[in-house]
Amino acid sequence: MTLRHALPSIIALTMALGLWAAPIAAQPAGTLVVGLVAEPVNLDPPQVTDLNSNRVGRRVVETLVTFPEESTQVVPGLAESWTISKDGLQYTFKLRRGITFHDGTPLNAEAVKFSIERQINPNHPAYKLGKYPFANFFFGNVKAVEVLSEERVAFLLNEPRASFLSILTAGAASIVSPTAVMKWGPDYPTHPVGTGPFRFASWDRGQRVVLEKNPTYWKYPVKVERVIYRPIVEDQARLTELLTGTLDVIVGVPADFVSQLEQNAKITLLKQVGAHVWYLGMNNQKKPFDDKRVRQALNYAVNKDAIVKDVLKGTGAASRGPVLPGTWGADPALKAYPYDPERAKKLLAEAGYPNGFSTTLWVPESGSGMQAPVAMSTVMQSNLKAVGVNVSLQIMEWGAYLAKLRTKEQELFALSWMAGTEDPDMVMYPLLHSSQWTPVGPNRALYKNARFDALLQQARLTTDQAKRAQLYKEAQRILVDDAPWVFVDHEIQIAALSKRVQGFKLHPSFDLRVETISLK
Amino acid sequence: MRAYIARRVLLLGPVLLGVSIVVFMVLHLSPGDPAEIMLGSQATQEDLERLRRELGLTEPLHVQYLRWMGHVLRGDLGRSLWMKRPVLDEVLHRFQATLVLTGSSLLLSTLGGLALGIASAVRPHSLLDRLSAVTSLFGASMPVFWLGIVLMVVFSLWLGWLPASGMWAPYGGGDLRALAAHLVLPAVTLAAASMTIIARLTRSTMLDVLGQDYIRTARAKGLIEGRVVVRHGLKNALIPIVTVVGVQAGYLLGGAVLTETVFAWPGVGLLMVQGILARDFPLVQGCVLVIALTFVLINLAVDLLYVYLDPRIHYE
Repeated sequence: MTLRHALPSIIALTMALGLWAAPIAAQPAGTLVVGLVAEPVNLDPPQVTDLNSNRVGRRVVETLVTFPEESTQVVPGLAESWTISKDGLQYTFKLRRGITFHDGTPLNAEAVKFSIERQINPNHPAYKLGKYPFANFFFGNVKAVEVLSEERVAFLLNEPRASFLSILTAGAASIVSPTAVMKWGPDYPTHPVGTGPFRFASWDRGQRVVLEKNPTYWKYPVKVERVIYRPIVEDQARLTELLTGTLDVIVGVPADFVSQLEQNAKITLLKQVGAHVWYLGMNNQKKPFDDKRVRQALNYAVNKDAIVKDVLKGTGAASRGPVLPGTWGADPALKAYPYDPERAKKLLAEAGYPNGFSTTLWVPESGSGMQAPVAMSTVMQSNLKAVGVNVSLQIMEWGAYLAKLRTKEQELFALSWMAGTEDPDMVMYPLLHSSQWTPVGPNRALYKNARFDALLQQARLTTDQAKRAQLYKEAQRILVDDAPWVFVDHEIQIAALSKRVQGFKLHPSFDLRVETISLK
Repeated sequence: MRAYIARRVLLLGPVLLGVSIVVFMVLHLSPGDPAEIMLGSQATQEDLERLRRELGLTEPLHVQYLRWMGHVLRGDLGRSLWMKRPVLDEVLHRFQATLVLTGSSLLLSTLGGLALGIASAVRPHSLLDRLSAVTSLFGASMPVFWLGIVLMVVFSLWLGWLPASGMWAPYGGGDLRALAAHLVLPAVTLAAASMTIIARLTRSTMLDVLGQDYIRTARAKGLIEGRVVVRHGLKNALIPIVTVVGVQAGYLLGGAVLTETVFAWPGVGLLMVQGILARDFPLVQGCVLVIALTFVLINLAVDLLYVYLDPRIHYE
């Protein structure tokens, strides 16, 4: 046989192999398959720093207080009720009776104390078993956790902080089984045990995490037998798997695919504005951005609606400030900066820059919550050029970018914030209070206004939500006038579902609550 | 010969040491450290300092490196800073998937490349030869991720013949058939560029060899054409081809990073990319050491293959 003849044989062999290797059969009943944009890193929420890990890990564990569907107002979770002392320094929780962790350990006040103190008390036996990156961010203000009885536990604070209940909804405040943590030691993040609607079943690294329903879940009967999470980084692959029926739910649908999916009869598309803000920061201490008129000019110059419509293609809602619109702390009457290049030019001339100026915009090429940073920044660059501000873009890798922002050398920079809750204290204080100037905290615009600072501080000490709302509304009016950032957008999360998925809702905290799903 | 192999194996130590130092330096000299990336935009100075201390990042570089090396010498590659899992276990587990992918791609590109190259050389300027030249140009200039996505759209989305991503059945388990089905698209994607390079090289070397006097002699003896081409032609043309196949094996290990990302193949390439983005030094070191070791072993195998192919070559 000559080798010329071998070629058809090779092709035939390959085809035969292809036929033998039959495609995959349909989903088993009761199994929900979710496509994630990246693999979870670990499943112990207090040790987690990324969204995907939390989306999986938080199905297994729960918190004392939580959010209802579709809102970030605080409601009872593992605690059925609580009281706050008059001075705001003691929060006492009464736990629900009869709840056990998936390993049979009873949920009690000791478990709550264990879950928090392992993160903040260096002498705690579990302290060294893990790294808790946000322990100080969330619990820096906690002096002690005290067990009052089997079902009553108290948090003692160093100073009053009205947003403390919101803090207790965070992944870092998850209540874990002390037995499991001590049993698995440093390997606990791959063997999580909680009280949640699903219990951890298995993890094939790089391929899937499997959760099974908790048959004795206290809140309601879970209708899905199993959830499989598959990490699929490439957008097209995730979409193809959804369209061919091997995935039931995908989140993080890229903007370019939205209109295609909207017209597909096999797919349901859900949208929900998330507790997120994307902003163009200005260094308020550096010329020319130390002049309020310049900062306002930039706000008039940037065409937010065009960014939301043409770049984000409906995956963002134009923003007027840092607080999520429609929540208790937001001011519905807040003034917006319309797109008005003439007004921008006039303000620049008043500030002494009739011919504009040149500046640099730092942009990360990607990053958590950053949407489409380069494309968005490019539009802003051309918007600003139209009013005489010549911007050169400096695009950096995320890690390098974060390090550079602590040098305080930034002029303009693109950044975002996912608060996970609607409480304005969790957004405005870290990002804009002058005590939080970088490198101490995340106020990278180096914004400072004494009245604004005082309002935020007063709101922290006020427990009445209506009064807090008034204080935050005034603070937002100051903020919009001072314009330390260009307010750009709030991300609209998009999920695409196959038709067999029923009863799913996106949550503004970016959590992925698959426990409400039933399968047709 | 044995002494030669022993010497080459001994040289592995210094090579891997060099690789580990370079990787360590590159990761530490690039701005942004693991603590910074873990905490992201919410970082406070206090959390950052504490996390750096806990991760051992506050010590001088040489201390960090030597401590790591001390562990490695005891067979412990450490724990991933970011995933908190033991590195050795993780890397070896993922490397199996990478081996399956690159191994089958290498097989596909070598067999396919040889077949195409020989067919073109036997009938130069024929339709097949011209077709192969055009495909080669196309194959060599297409980026892996683009080809991967095109194949995925055609064979998974439109035709529904093959699964789009993953390695085994999506619900866990699955037999060899599931593996084969999942392997087709990534293996073809990864093999495309190498196959065309091997095909073009085989064609030119074979054309050269087939014009030699001994080929004419073989034909004059009345040997059948297939025997002339394979026994007398191909074997003598193999030395440069084997060299290129060896180089391509290394290229495939590198190309696997992109292919694994596109097709969600659970290999070491995808793991390494995530490790680099997180500046997860122990994890990246573990991945690089395994890949470097494989590369060195492939080179050794190629050198030893020369002796078999050409009896005139022998190592002192």
